[in-house]
Amino acid sequence: MQLKIFVLSGAAVALWLVPLTALDKRIGWHKSMQGLTLCAAIACAVTAGNIAREQAKQNEIEEIKTRAITADVVDEIATSAYISQAQRQQEAEQILNPLEHLERSLALTYDEGERSESIAQNQLAERTENCAENGDSERTERIHQLQAKGWGKAKIILEIWGVTKGGSHKYKAAEADYKRLIEEGG
Amino acid sequence: MRAMYLGNYFVAGCIASSFLGWIASLHPIASRAIAFLTAAAFTVWGLCWLLDFSVSSLLKISVSSLQAFLLALLAAGAIGAGVFLCS
Repeated sequence: MQLKIFVLSGAAVALWLVPLTALDKRIGWHKSMQGLTLCAAIACAVTAGNIAREQAKQNEIEEIKTRAITADVVDEIATSAYISQAQRQQEAEQILNPLEHLERSLALTYDEGERSESIAQNQLAERTENCAENGDSERTERIHQLQAKGWGKAKIILEIWGVTKGGSHKYKAAEADYKRLIEEGG
Repeated sequence: MRAMYLGNYFVAGCIASSFLGWIASLHPIASRAIAFLTAAAFTVWGLCWLLDFSVSSLLKISVSSLQAFLLALLAAGAIGAGVFLCS
């Protein structure tokens, strides 16, 4: 299309200047030829101008499209980055120990007065108790599983508490814990 | 591409001006008619130049665009007439 515009522009200039300079105005048919070529030159120039204008409009539309696509891509990247950040934050919050979370909130509300402090301490105590109960139930369940496999007491204590049989304080505490869980679990 | 189409219209204006000169050279009556047209065009041009703010608001274009158009019109007419007279 650009070649067509260039050819038409060149033809317009040539048809304008060449006959006017090369032909003689005093000869009749030369004068007629000058008139014809001037008309043709005007037609060529106007046609080239119209084509160039259409091309310019199309280029503008293409630029707008390109800008819109770029804006879409940027928006998509920003959205995905925001989502991944939110996911990371959520995962980090899940990884954090709930107890630690409560301790943090307790530390934040420490200066707010005795009332909030006592409430937070109660919450912490409840949470600790719940955790201990959960831990006990898990241990009881594990003990029952190992007993079903035919494991003995010493082996179960070694498996769950990680202490070997002997007279150590840790083993005695673990043994007491074991007995308590057995009694509680029935 | 914008410069291309503006340039082509400018060249078309130059050629049209030469064509008017060619018509004027055909017959004395045509010459008078073209002279009258040229005088009228100059008058309109001068009025547009003087009343640029009113004309620009009437045509809904900026004043600078109107002034550029008027100057381009004057230049095209001068170039076209000059080419025809010098040839």
